[in-house]
Amino acid sequence: MSNALLLVGLNHRSAPVDVRERLNVSEEQQEGTLAEVKSLPGIDGAAMLSTCNRVETIVSATSEDVIESIVNWMSARGGVGRADLEKHLYILRYEDVMKHLFRVASGLDSMVMGEPQIGGQVRAAFLSAQRCQALDGMLERLFEETMRVAKKVRTETGIGEHAVSVPYAAVELARKIFGELRGLQALLLGAGEMSELTAEHLNTAGLKQIFVANRSHERAQQLAERFHGQAVTFEEIEPHLATCDIVIASTAAPHFVIEPAHVDRALHARKMRTLFLIDLSVPRNINPAIASIEGAYLYNIDDLQQVADANRELRSQKAEQAEMIVAREVDNFRRRLVTQDAVPTIVELQQALESIRSGELEKCLRRLGPITADQREAIEMLTTQMVNKILHYPILRLKDSNAEPHERESLRQTIRKIFGLR
Amino acid sequence: MTPNLTLYIALGFYAAGTVMALVSLFTREMRTQHLGLGLMIAGWLSHTFWIGTICVRTGHPPLTNLPEAASFIAWTVFLAEMVLFFRYRVHAASFFVYPLVLMLLTVTAVVREPFAQMDPALRSGLFTTHVFLSTVGVAALLVGLAFTALAFVQDRALKSKQRGPLWEWIPSLDVCRTIGYHTLAVGFSIYTLGILAGILWSYRTTAELIDLRVKQIGGVVAWVLFAMLLQSFISGAYRARRTVVISACAFVAILIAMLGIHHV
Repeated sequence: MSNALLLVGLNHRSAPVDVRERLNVSEEQQEGTLAEVKSLPGIDGAAMLSTCNRVETIVSATSEDVIESIVNWMSARGGVGRADLEKHLYILRYEDVMKHLFRVASGLDSMVMGEPQIGGQVRAAFLSAQRCQALDGMLERLFEETMRVAKKVRTETGIGEHAVSVPYAAVELARKIFGELRGLQALLLGAGEMSELTAEHLNTAGLKQIFVANRSHERAQQLAERFHGQAVTFEEIEPHLATCDIVIASTAAPHFVIEPAHVDRALHARKMRTLFLIDLSVPRNINPAIASIEGAYLYNIDDLQQVADANRELRSQKAEQAEMIVAREVDNFRRRLVTQDAVPTIVELQQALESIRSGELEKCLRRLGPITADQREAIEMLTTQMVNKILHYPILRLKDSNAEPHERESLRQTIRKIFGLR
Repeated sequence: MTPNLTLYIALGFYAAGTVMALVSLFTREMRTQHLGLGLMIAGWLSHTFWIGTICVRTGHPPLTNLPEAASFIAWTVFLAEMVLFFRYRVHAASFFVYPLVLMLLTVTAVVREPFAQMDPALRSGLFTTHVFLSTVGVAALLVGLAFTALAFVQDRALKSKQRGPLWEWIPSLDVCRTIGYHTLAVGFSIYTLGILAGILWSYRTTAELIDLRVKQIGGVVAWVLFAMLLQSFISGAYRARRTVVISACAFVAILIAMLGIHHV
């Protein structure tokens, strides 16, 4: 029976990258690593969560004594001196493990608050441990609960929904304007790093076609190939304004490349279909007067940065909501675990006392001789109520979720001894 | 009409659902928004039961006077909202549609008129068609107005680069525009057919094409305004402030037409 739920690990806040990389467990190493942890004495179940930001060993064990051997094993595995490693490690127990895992899977402990990838990484760690048969009942329940809570946090708070980088902010705005980006066309003017990144994100979102115009036609062709798009000359920009839905400008030109008259004509040709213009260049390439034209939405680099900053602030606000959900869920899960753990002992206890009651009752009835049905019922009720009253406090104590795990285990053993349970 | 228990239950649920939706606007909690939707659905089921009761008692749909028509429009508006919600997941529409449904059913509960048994002379298929199509058309137009408002709010937020409180709840501009345009187009077609059926029925019964009372004037003015609104969607001018003015006027005209409904 596992008495201890423990987590030994380090993350981007507690350890520098050179320590993290030495302890990192790749996907291929998972099976062997889990087998090593599981073979340590006293460990019933184990799982490893290893990402670029954290390496954590989660175990259920017979006692907390296993912490020593886990730290030694990590130190040996990473080739980091034990004293050095201890400076970066955190060791969590029982309820803190639940809270930590719920927070991690929900993205609340991530470098970028609310980032969604971590949810998938926790799930992958669970599946990997499950495949290696490294989990016991306790860890299985913990991981299932972790993924349920993470989903709940994301659904109820929407913490991961808002972009916190400039390129993603552009994609988010494009989605706010067009909804589905599949089937849309984009025009990329210039080949700045940020515009490339933005185009890449938009392309991943399912754009139909990207046209690239650059001062160097060769560079335009290279970029177009990368996005499976088409290179165009600067002279062809205006006709493409009429067919493209998104324009990303990032040229080195010291003047405006797109003027209000261009957009006016394009919108007319587009039958007033919306046009989204993103100006990532400094000095700006798109005349800001275009922002006042109906049907055209113009965002420059500062606007996008403001969107990203506002989203970061929004995520922080949502994190407060998320923390409340996590706290509530930890409490619920802890109560459920305690009750579930206590059930076998309670059932055995009830069966043992019922067996004594019915046996003694039969003996008594034989001695009494014939009695009426009402009298028998009264005696039955009396003995049953006595048994229930005797059991009341032991059951209450067994279900007490506020007690520490080792206290509960000690109580369970004591009760089993007193009542002579196997 | 004697409002009975199921009507008040529906009203209670609608009120609670509307409050929850408006609370979610400030708390930004999806759970509160979903709770609001759940309460509104409970109200709608109770509302459906009440409409069924009237049908059984009078032998015809509840469309013969103002409270009944208001109730039926509220019922249809929420039905349309549910369909659109489950198709597009537009949460923001709740901030417009729920209060509208609540307001319409409050009219039903407050304006007490006896259950109207339809005059046998009016029991023609043409009259029923007129009332039914007009009511359904108005319901669709009201939903269309709600989405036009959402499209406008979204457009302003994108233009000004200032997120309002509705930013998170409103879907993309294109989705708002598409739903707004489609519901207006469908609603306008049905409403037009309803008006034509009414004119024909009026001609058959009174030998007059139109009787210039508040109801008819309001109805025709609303029809013209909705035609202008639809045209602005087709031309792409729906983003202009003019559209908001037309929408507001169309809403008022529809309300006037509805308030003009008396016993037939």
